[in-house]
Amino acid sequence: MIIPVRCFTCGKLVGDKWEEFARRIKTGENASDVLDSLDLSRYCCRRMLLSNVEIIDQVLRFNEETEKRKEAHNFY
Amino acid sequence: MKIEVQEKDEKIIRLIVKDVDVSLMNSLRRIIVSEVPSMSIDEVVVIENSSILQDEIISHRLGLIPLTTDLEGYNLPENCSCASEFGCNLCRVTLTMNSEARDQTQTVYSGELVSENPAVIPVSDKIPIVKLSKGQKLKFEAYARLGKGKKHAKWQPVSMCTYKYYPKIEVPSKECKDCSKCVDICPKRVLGMKGKRVEIKNLLACNLCMDCVDECPKNVPPIKITWEKNAYILSIESTGVLPPEKIIQQTTKILEEQLTELKREIEAIKK
Repeated sequence: MIIPVRCFTCGKLVGDKWEEFARRIKTGENASDVLDSLDLSRYCCRRMLLSNVEIIDQVLRFNEETEKRKEAHNFY
Repeated sequence: MKIEVQEKDEKIIRLIVKDVDVSLMNSLRRIIVSEVPSMSIDEVVVIENSSILQDEIISHRLGLIPLTTDLEGYNLPENCSCASEFGCNLCRVTLTMNSEARDQTQTVYSGELVSENPAVIPVSDKIPIVKLSKGQKLKFEAYARLGKGKKHAKWQPVSMCTYKYYPKIEVPSKECKDCSKCVDICPKRVLGMKGKRVEIKNLLACNLCMDCVDECPKNVPPIKITWEKNAYILSIESTGVLPPEKIIQQTTKILEEQLTELKREIEAIKK
């Protein structure tokens, strides 16, 4: 859904690193290098970013569509 | 007891401790993990939440945000003079949030939390709490309290706290020639080649996995991995709530308090 605040296993803060990670991966950088530069040395923290699926944007669209439908309903 | 600082920055500290027993190292470790207090959001009063995440999920995320801790300024709720469940100014910090997405989808970050005490703020301003689409609102009041790691992991001041034996590696140069199997297998790159001989490059990285000994083609491996007696490497990685040296200071203080209490109890039994 949305990036967890901390690593599930060790408790290191990972939430604030997601946006930079996602941006840099999109530009085609190697994930391993990005994780190293973000100071995530243990594999428990690395998998937090590697395996995250940021689905919240898709879920937000449902909300937007319902709002639109409500508006249309009120209009007719 | 001899302590040497091997590595130190604002989050990580690595100490070489000599002439102590394992039991002391382990008690230090356990106190760091479960007894050193830190500040964390403990209670949330949600006033308005029209976001797509439920109140509970948001509260949980808030609880996990590490807050910079002022140990001198605040009491643990159970030791506070107010003795109230709700708390007072000496044992509670209020953080508020009032966020609304006006014209487009926006992310609510931890930096938007407004703390009543500027010394108690989120460690990072860039932690996403929730995303709001146009017109959604998030408004709450959160109470942060001191707490201990034994009650909930969110109060742990560290994300890593380990100790290991100080390694001792012997590579007799006479017998080892033209073979680099132990060098190649080492996952921590402890060994290296100097000409045709094996040399130790990074002794402290060794975690005594013994892969080099297992990989050696000789019947009696000349390479010997042992550890120093009563010497340890203690590594601490703080989550940012307290500087690592402060965590160690607190630890020794707590250990001393606990030992005095134990002594007092034993003496009470004797009488």
